Amino acid sequence: MDTDDLIARLAADARPVTPVHAERRAMLWLGFAIALITGLVAWHGFRPDLADRVDLPAERIQWFASVATGILAAIAAARLAEPGRPAAWALLPVPALVVWVAGMGFGCLADIARLGPSAMVLGTSWSCLGFITGVGAPLLAVLLYLLRDGASLRPGRVSAMAGLAAAALCSAGLSLFHHLDAALMILVWHGTAVALVCAFGAVTGRVALAR
Amino acid sequence: MPTSTAPHSPGLMADVIRATGLALAPSRARLRAMQDGPGVWEAWMVAAQAGDGAAYNAVLRACAPYLRGVARRRLREPASVEDAVQDALLTIHSLRHTWDPERPLRPWLAAIADRRAIDVARRELRRGGREVAVEAADDLADTRGTDAEERAAAMQLRRAIADLPESQRTALRLAKIEDLPLGEAAARSGLSVGALKVATHRAMATLRKRLGVE
Repeated sequence: MDTDDLIARLAADARPVTPVHAERRAMLWLGFAIALITGLVAWHGFRPDLADRVDLPAERIQWFASVATGILAAIAAARLAEPGRPAAWALLPVPALVVWVAGMGFGCLADIARLGPSAMVLGTSWSCLGFITGVGAPLLAVLLYLLRDGASLRPGRVSAMAGLAAAALCSAGLSLFHHLDAALMILVWHGTAVALVCAFGAVTGRVALAR
Repeated sequence: MPTSTAPHSPGLMADVIRATGLALAPSRARLRAMQDGPGVWEAWMVAAQAGDGAAYNAVLRACAPYLRGVARRRLREPASVEDAVQDALLTIHSLRHTWDPERPLRPWLAAIADRRAIDVARRELRRGGREVAVEAADDLADTRGTDAEERAAAMQLRRAIADLPESQRTALRLAKIEDLPLGEAAARSGLSVGALKVATHRAMATLRKRLGVE
C-alpha cells in the first residue's frame, strides 16, 4: 500500500482519544502498592525488635534507601514508558539502589567484625523469597498493565524498572515484620528475590508488552 | 595606507527585493517554515487526539519525511525505509494517546520511527538467515539424498571426484564447490588463472563422461 493511502485511511479513523499520563498512573500504583504492603505489615504485626533496629542509623538509611529505590524505580518506569523520553531515566533509582545494597554489604562487614566467622553462615529464608516474589510479581503485573501502551516500545527496560519498584517496596515492607538479623541473610535472600522479580519482569514484559 | 572596504548596507538587499517585487512571492522554504513552525505539529496532534481527521491527516503528511529520515539512519533500501515508515504510522495511530500534549512531538515520533526501523532491520536479518539456512539444507539434501537412488548417485559423484587428478580436484573444489572468485581460487591452488580455468573445465568434462551426463 502507498504511504499516502495509508495516511488517508488512518486519518479517516481519527476517533477522539484521551491522552494517558504515565506518571500519574505510576503515582496511582505507588499509592496502591504502599497501601497493600502497609496492610500486610499490619496483618503480620511489627517485628518485636523494630524499635531497637530503628535506633541504628545504618538500618534506618538502608530501609529508607529501599523505599526510595521503589519510588524512584516506579517513576523511572513511567518515564521510560513515554515514547521519546531519554533512556537515561533508567538511572534514576541507581543512587538509592547503590546506597541500599552498600548498606546491606556494610551490615555484613559489621556482623563479621562483631561475631567473627559465624556471621558468614548462611541459612535459608524461603519466607523472604516467598513474600517478595509472591507480592512483588502481582504488583509488577498491575504496574505493567497501567503502563502497557507506552511501554511497548522498550518493554524490557520498563518491565525491569517496574519489577525493581515492586520488589524494593516489598523488601522494605518485609523488613518491618520479618525477624531477620544476619545481614548476610538479608543481602542474599532480599537481594536474590529482588533480582528474581526484576529478571522475571524483564523477560515476561518483553513478551507481553511488545507490539 | 590603510585600505577600507565599502561599508555593507544591511538595507541594500531588502531594497533590491522590494524594488524587484520579489518580496511579494515568499520562498517555498519560508512557506514550509510557516506551516511546520514550532508548535504547529503539536497543535495538529492535539486536534488529532480530539478526533479532528483533517488535522490528523496534516500532521501525518507533514511528519512522513521526518519519519523517513529517522528510518534511513538504520536502513538503506528505499523499500525497507518505506516499510518502516508505514509501520511507524500504524504505531503512531495505535499509540497516539500516549503522546503528552505538554511535550514536543518530534522526540515521540522519532522514538516510534526508530523502534520500527530496528524491527524492520531485524526482520530482514532473520529473513536473510533463513535463506542461508534453506540453501545449506538444500546442499545437505543434494549430497546426502533422501532415498536410496539419490544416495547412490551422491556416492558415485564422490567417487568420480576422488578419482580426478589432484590439480583438477583442487580446481573443482575451489572454483565450483567453494565458489571462490577466480583470482582467489588461483592464489590458493597455486595455479595461474588460465591453468585453473583449464583444470576446472577438464574436471567437469571428466565428471560428465564418468557419470554419463551430456
